[in-house]
Amino acid sequence: MALLELQDITAGYDKNVILKNLNLQVEKGELLSLLGSSGCGKTTTLRLIAGFSEPMSGKFLFDGKDYTHVPLHKRNFGFVFQSYALFPHMTIFDNVAFGLRMRKCSSSEIQNQVMETLELVDLKGYEKRFPKELSGGQRQRVALARALVIKPDLLLMDEPLSNLDAKLRVKMRVEIRKLQQKFGITAIYVTHDQEECFAISDKVAIMNQGIIEQLDTPDRIYNRPNTEFIAHFVGFENFLDLTSAEGGYTGADGSFFRADAPQKQGRLKACIRPEDIQIAPLGTDVPNRLDGQIMVETFLGKRYQYNVKTALGEMVVSADQEHIYHSGESVTLSLASNKIILL
Amino acid sequence: MNKKALTIGWLMVLPGCLFVVFFMLVPLFLLVFRTFFDEGGSFTLNGYWEMFQSTYFQQVFVRSLKLSLISTAICALLGFPSSYYIAKYSRHKGMLMAFAVFPMFTSPVIRSFSWIVLLGKKGIVNSALMTIGLTSKPISILYNEVSMTIGFIQLFLPLMILSLIGVMENIPEDLNLAAGSLGATKLGTFRHVVLPLSIPGLVTGSVLVFTGCLTAYTTPQLLGGTDTRVLATVIYQYAMSLGDWTQASIVAVVMIVVTVCVSSGINGISRRLNPTI
Ligand SMILES: Nc1ncnc2c1ncn2[C@@H]1O[C@H](COP(=O)(O)OP(=O)(O)OP(=O)(O)O)[C@@H](O)[C@H]1O
Ligand SMILES: [Mg+2]
Repeated sequence: MALLELQDITAGYDKNVILKNLNLQVEKGELLSLLGSSGCGKTTTLRLIAGFSEPMSGKFLFDGKDYTHVPLHKRNFGFVFQSYALFPHMTIFDNVAFGLRMRKCSSSEIQNQVMETLELVDLKGYEKRFPKELSGGQRQRVALARALVIKPDLLLMDEPLSNLDAKLRVKMRVEIRKLQQKFGITAIYVTHDQEECFAISDKVAIMNQGIIEQLDTPDRIYNRPNTEFIAHFVGFENFLDLTSAEGGYTGADGSFFRADAPQKQGRLKACIRPEDIQIAPLGTDVPNRLDGQIMVETFLGKRYQYNVKTALGEMVVSADQEHIYHSGESVTLSLASNKIILL
Repeated sequence: MNKKALTIGWLMVLPGCLFVVFFMLVPLFLLVFRTFFDEGGSFTLNGYWEMFQSTYFQQVFVRSLKLSLISTAICALLGFPSSYYIAKYSRHKGMLMAFAVFPMFTSPVIRSFSWIVLLGKKGIVNSALMTIGLTSKPISILYNEVSMTIGFIQLFLPLMILSLIGVMENIPEDLNLAAGSLGATKLGTFRHVVLPLSIPGLVTGSVLVFTGCLTAYTTPQLLGGTDTRVLATVIYQYAMSLGDWTQASIVAVVMIVVTVCVSSGINGISRRLNPTI
């Protein structure tokens, strides 16, 4: 059974419903990311799990127990805020020690554990400083240490890296992942940075308008999106309306495509990434052929991007610079059959 | 900042500075100055010496200090929870703030008269106490230190509440949530997060209330008796009834010194509670 389970959770602010019958499962020891566009309800979900708010309906099970109405301070979950939320009037030591003091640990125990945790996040020697005397990255690490020192049953992080510069973000996400794996902490990580999310997670839950559209491993999300929304989200730019036929699918103009994925029936949508379409001079004999005319060519440095007008709509194609085509030229496209995703 | 902006800045503060210098600093200096010289014009501390020798003045001095401190403490105790509620939980913040400040819209004279009506021998408070049987004959709560303290509190509680709300509103809600997620109860969060972070507001409020109480004239004059005079009413007595301006000035200087000392004392205590301010 999953360690954490959200069952049919409906939640929102006042009468404003944000999460609609949301279901989510997280296994022990895994890091799950909530990924989605701004305003889709990631923070709302995380705060609900943390106990900052209660759902309007539905159930939250943790370790088999009903946690829906367990008060915040009894949950033993660590929370890392986007704003870090360090206590400005306490030293770094006292910030990290706060959770242990609330648990009435002995002062020698506090001393040991705080110093150990500060060493873990590479902040030894900073314990006498105040938060305003630290850089953004250091504050972020204090926030992480403060949440880790209580040995949380669950670690919740709300865009913990979004205030850092790109380089530091990459470094810190590796650190977070290392610590999480070292201690086998179950964690939920909110982000809207796709790369960060794929890099750090065991599982990814893609959220859209208050529901989870797909919960899967990063590579399945990337390569096998379930819905058009997710396909868009992870960079599929070409969508085709197809109808199933003998051994493949036909487009509106009668063109025929084969796909490696198991055959589906009826009308359906297929999608493919720009780099999975080959471009060739008009009339070249290629499999999964689609003819069109170049509308725009865009130089992207390493590669060229072409917007090609075809009978099935506009296609975005990304090609190397071996042969450069120009707008107005007629071309033949070839859609890689193993890269066509059926939705 | 460039030179031009600096010049303009100086020009803009100039009128205010001139006003303060000529109508406050200069008279204040003259006031302090004259208390150190006798009629013949030679330097002396005799005025102060004699003042502090008199038992009457000693009583007045202690009473002023005591009533002001008690009123400040009660204002802090009463103001803290209400400010916290208004700042953090209330949906009707505007309305509640208006209520809190409302007493300031009427003059201290009118308010003191209302208290006279309420606290008198036949006033509502005494009638109520007698009806419920807490006392058999009216207790005296008018024209003494009790009525003065009540008057002070009503007069200055709004200042405490406004100072506190201003600071509490700026405590990020995330800090409370962080404390809670680390295992702090509501009380623990209050004790370790809200209270220390509210100290700046408490300091401002306390200094305002204390100075207000110490220097208030109308309220002690109307709600106090002849045997419960305070520094402010004594100044009036010296200057207007006895025509002794030097004595009055000495009391005024004492009042200023007390205000400065107590304010810095409050600051010192608060710095210990919250080292970052
Ligand atoms: N305190 C609030 N009161 C009312 N509505 C809110 C409140 N907080 C968030 N919302 C609304 O709830 C919706 C979901 O917000 P949420 O903060 O969960 O989004 P998010 O997925 O975390 O977005 P982001 O990536 O921008 O942080 C939004 O439409 C937002 O306007
Ligand atoms: Mg958010």
